[in-house]
Amino acid sequence: MIVDDDLWQAIGDPTRRRMLDLLLADNGNGTATSLGQRLTVTRQGVAKHLSVLERAGLVRSSPSGRERRYRVDDAQLARAVAQLSSVGASWDARLQRIRSLAEEIKHQAEKKPPSR
Amino acid sequence: MRNQRLQEDLMEYGSIERTIYVDAAPEIVFDVVSKPEHVQRWWPDEAAYALTPGEPGHIVFGADSKSCSTGDGAKVEQFTVVDVRPPRSFSFRWNHAVGETAAAGNSYLVTFDLTPEGGGTMLRMTESGFRERGWSEVVVAQNHRDHENGWDHFLPQLAPYVASLHVTP
Repeated sequence: MIVDDDLWQAIGDPTRRRMLDLLLADNGNGTATSLGQRLTVTRQGVAKHLSVLERAGLVRSSPSGRERRYRVDDAQLARAVAQLSSVGASWDARLQRIRSLAEEIKHQAEKKPPSR
Repeated sequence: MRNQRLQEDLMEYGSIERTIYVDAAPEIVFDVVSKPEHVQRWWPDEAAYALTPGEPGHIVFGADSKSCSTGDGAKVEQFTVVDVRPPRSFSFRWNHAVGETAAAGNSYLVTFDLTPEGGGTMLRMTESGFRERGWSEVVVAQNHRDHENGWDHFLPQLAPYVASLHVTP
């Protein structure tokens, strides 16, 4: 089972987000070498970041010659995106209710005759 | 394009921000977003807390609505007011464990900022704390949040979470 707790931590780092970005731009896959060429990160650094991404389920690796090829897990990425947009949608609904309530209170106050 | 969209979504993960214009004075809007009797009309089914920073309170969801299959209908969430500045800002933390003091890392922080504009109010809401708490926490919270929007839709996915949520026998 995927250790879900790692996901937030994985995408909280700008270098790892950049790596995901590069992988996605490159048909969703790449190797430590191909990523290292486009990042100012040491080879060990690239490997470390990839292992964090893999633990979070955001990438999956398979052997490719003498290296490993990393592929973005679209399902996990989509899941992450969906969860957060759903939380956002809940707030949209709440804010609409807040607006209706406040405007209702305002109109009721306006209708009331001045108190004496 | 897909690439850029995903990148933007990922950048947003740490917090959610929304802005809405309300055609009512900040004093009215402030009451609606902060007072328990109003809050329970737009979010939980029941709200019990004092407008005093740091004092423990709680909110209750689903007391009498379609309950989950365990028969345990209501879900109580801890709620603590952080800051009260009428009519400009109101913030609270929620979803921390019972007995814990609300702080960064164990709860979500919701902040409302109110700005007067053209006779009404520009209301900005920010909720943060997702990244700090970890992924599974967000999944659990999100399932609760969706209670009001479509509990049935989430029921099939809920069983594993229910097991971890209900500590009581």
